Amino acid sequence: MNDGAGPDAVLALLIITDLLLLGSSRLRSCITITALQGVVVSLLPVLLHGAEGAVRPWILTGGSMILKGAVFPWLLLRVLRESGVRREVEPFVGHTLSVVAGVAALMFSIWVGTQLNLPGPVAPNQTLMVPAGLATLLIGLFLIVSRRTAVTQVLGYIVVENGIYTVGVTLVGGVPMLVELGVLMDVFVAVFIMSIAAYHISREFDHIDVDQLNQLRG
Amino acid sequence: MLLWALLILPPVLAGTCCVARSARRVLLLASVGGAGWAALAGATASAAYASGPLFAARGWLYLDALSAYHLAVLGLVFGASSVYAWGYFQGELADGTLSLRSARRFGALWFGSAAAMTAVLLSNNLGLMWVGIEATTLLTAFLICVHVTPLSLEAMWKYLVVCSVGVAFAFVGTLLVAASAQRLGLDASEMLLWTRLRESAALLAPGPMKLAFLFLLVGYGTKAGLAPLHSWLPDAHSQAPAPVSALFSGFMLNTALYCLMRYLPLVEGATGGTGWGGGLLVVFGILSILLAAVFIVFQQDGKRLLAYHSVEHIGIIALGLGLGGIGTFAALWHTLNHAVCKALAFFSVGRLGQMYGTHDLGRMAGAMRRSPVWGIGFFGGVLALIGVAPFAIFMSEFQILRAAAAAHAFVALTLFLLGAGIVFVGALRHAMTSAWGEEVCEPKLQPGGVADAVLVFGALALLLLLGLWMPGPLRTALEQAALIVGGRP
Amino acid sequence: MNWTVVIPPAAGLLLAPLLFGVINRTKALFAGRHGQPLLQPYFDLGKLLRKGATYSRTTTWVFRAGPIVGLSATATALALTPMGGLPAPVRFSGDVLLFAYLLCLARFFTVIAALDTGSSFEGMGASREVLFSALAEPALLLSLAAVARETRTLSLSGMVGSVSAGTWLSQGPALALVAVALGVVLLAENARIPVDDPTTHLELTMIHEVMLLDHGGPDLAFALYGAMLKLWVLGALLVGLAVPVRSGNPLVGAGAFLGGMVVLAMLIGVVESSMARLRLLRVPKLLVGATALAVLALILILG
Repeated sequence: MNDGAGPDAVLALLIITDLLLLGSSRLRSCITITALQGVVVSLLPVLLHGAEGAVRPWILTGGSMILKGAVFPWLLLRVLRESGVRREVEPFVGHTLSVVAGVAALMFSIWVGTQLNLPGPVAPNQTLMVPAGLATLLIGLFLIVSRRTAVTQVLGYIVVENGIYTVGVTLVGGVPMLVELGVLMDVFVAVFIMSIAAYHISREFDHIDVDQLNQLRG
Repeated sequence: MLLWALLILPPVLAGTCCVARSARRVLLLASVGGAGWAALAGATASAAYASGPLFAARGWLYLDALSAYHLAVLGLVFGASSVYAWGYFQGELADGTLSLRSARRFGALWFGSAAAMTAVLLSNNLGLMWVGIEATTLLTAFLICVHVTPLSLEAMWKYLVVCSVGVAFAFVGTLLVAASAQRLGLDASEMLLWTRLRESAALLAPGPMKLAFLFLLVGYGTKAGLAPLHSWLPDAHSQAPAPVSALFSGFMLNTALYCLMRYLPLVEGATGGTGWGGGLLVVFGILSILLAAVFIVFQQDGKRLLAYHSVEHIGIIALGLGLGGIGTFAALWHTLNHAVCKALAFFSVGRLGQMYGTHDLGRMAGAMRRSPVWGIGFFGGVLALIGVAPFAIFMSEFQILRAAAAAHAFVALTLFLLGAGIVFVGALRHAMTSAWGEEVCEPKLQPGGVADAVLVFGALALLLLLGLWMPGPLRTALEQAALIVGGRP
Repeated sequence: MNWTVVIPPAAGLLLAPLLFGVINRTKALFAGRHGQPLLQPYFDLGKLLRKGATYSRTTTWVFRAGPIVGLSATATALALTPMGGLPAPVRFSGDVLLFAYLLCLARFFTVIAALDTGSSFEGMGASREVLFSALAEPALLLSLAAVARETRTLSLSGMVGSVSAGTWLSQGPALALVAVALGVVLLAENARIPVDDPTTHLELTMIHEVMLLDHGGPDLAFALYGAMLKLWVLGALLVGLAVPVRSGNPLVGAGAFLGGMVVLAMLIGVVESSMARLRLLRVPKLLVGATALAVLALILILG
């Protein structure tokens, strides 16, 4: 595992940021942690494919880092500022239990990874990357479902995208550049629109507690 | 050429909407532009049928029989909705509730979503197809909120989060498809091209393909409104203005199903034609039909009723696709029928809602007496939707029943009949009350126009016609499209 | 017998109070004071040993046994602890479990001695101590399991001895996670901020201190010395893993180790000066987080 130190560190940081997100209730630190996770995940193309000498991984890494490290936090911090919310409302699943659930998700993803026998350019010492990506996806989903603040749901979506990105970069080396850029653009526009929506919600309702948006039923 | 024109025209129109001088002009541009684009779409589709598949952009843009058929349906729905939007927003223009900003936003997003849906239909690259679907979610989100109210915000938020997450799952599926295509040794720029994958479908790795199809079904199924992932549907459809709802139900749901139709032959080829993918589709389809049936019985709101009808019909289309054979043919035909019918129903309910000030069915009682055109439109639309003969929907549902019998899927057959029966009784009750019931509220009548009558009676006539007689060209078109999806015509 | 095996326990017995001195000095420096002399803990122990002890009439032999058993158990654990590359005098496969259990035994007797007094403050402190130790136990054992898996041995001396610079190069992230988890366990077990404040005077906020409230004289000296040895023992584990200097020369190894211990004490002092104690309800979160890190390290090493 000698040359695996870089991806290993990314892996560890990815999961640590997942668990930190699950356990944290201050919204500003949640946004910072997600930004950190985005930057760490953006390093993957360069770490995994950078030695091949192409320019593509560098462009992807650069663009992704700017988006996830600077633009998304700025958008979400703006929403926080407008709505004046600092702390998360008590979520449906308590924080400690969420961390335990996150570890359980990691175990489950590793088990799924062993069952899968995925083909693809997965180097033998990178067998934990895909399960880590899957775990991140599950944890992001958990965040969306169990949290009540609109901002945390957007963060959960970004985490889901980070997980998918990890799985994608590890599994498939050759997706065309245009598609990758298109995906990045999509994620950017999605977060942009979600933050605008959250802003409208905070203006219209005076809070961003999504659980109270329950007028439409049946 | 044609393909590029189709793609470029909507964004250009969207840009023009952004700089229009008045809300009136925006709406005029929307209706005329929409109708014009629809004509272009129809022309392109017939060109594809006449001369075979069209390619462009080094094979990344592709129009074969399946996508041409869907393009024609999109053109029909989009054109009709654009013309309808002109009439629908007249009242709001008159009393000024539609501000210039909202109108510009509406126009730009209206054409933007058309562009995104066209991109989905035209793209040969599966990744770009995904980008298009995600773009439709994002662009249509604010269409729900033309008027920013608490309820519409709630609907939009749910729609955004649920559909974005669902589409993210679909992306994992796309990645897994690419992973299973690794062993084909394709060049990077060709790896996700559908035409290439279709040629060598039997060589794809079955394990990842199965997992991929599962993810894709969950992902695109969320966007299509298959139960149990349909929770965003009723809210979004009921809060959006009627032209937008018509576009949603009439076409956007079909776009997501179209994506599934593209993946079905791939997964069937990879798993050796055992019908594994089809089986999953049948399960989801039946689930949608039954769930929708239950909710329809208890509905009070007109637009939510129609939204649940959409869930049911998407379930029927999925059922047909899953059964294969005649089922595929019938499912594709049902796409057209449902699109026309649903658009008609939403048009009617939208105008009636404007007249009565509410969408509550109880309060809209006696509509047919007061407003003949739209009342007949609503009643006729609901009748057609629940499958009354001799409308077209009855015929396509009957074909699907035949397909189920031919495939010996008797459980599915029984459950389908059960669901359809519940829907028949429940919805008929609502429709009769609203058409002939004792009048509860005084409606604010709006002057009807020629366009209104054309929309309503034209649609009804089309449905009746298709139910009684299938034109030759339509039959050939459907057969060619069904062949692509993998069923025998 | 090789004379170098005497060094680890001898160093521990002699130098454990010095750790407390370094911590207190660092905290004083942060506060801008000059602080106690570095050797003050030795003088405190000596003073306590010369005093007499008072025993309440409501206590039994358990109360008297508490500090004694605690000290002996911790001292026995000291015999199992290696010092960087130098092996401990007592070593056999599986001694890592004995180590954990000895610390457990010490804690158990402290707790029942506190409960024996029948006072409500001690009872409160006892229940908190037991809760936090129960949560810190998995973190400790899983971290040690990760290291055991990497070094393929179940003996503490073998584990710490086999971790060299090469191990860090190949398993860096995993070992870093283990170090962080062990650090949190260290802070929790030794009643340091952010788990417990050793300088608080309010019984309601005490966890470890309150259990020693009723002891006096030699008993308090034993309990205090036992706490110092516990800090040394857990710190030795952490420093042994974190400072992978494994040259053949025992003096170089010992020197690096002692340097590491001093740095650890200074770090504890820095943490104590810069953080406030966590709310009691949030300490379980911290400990569960440490457990999660240990699990992650184990997964990384297994995978």
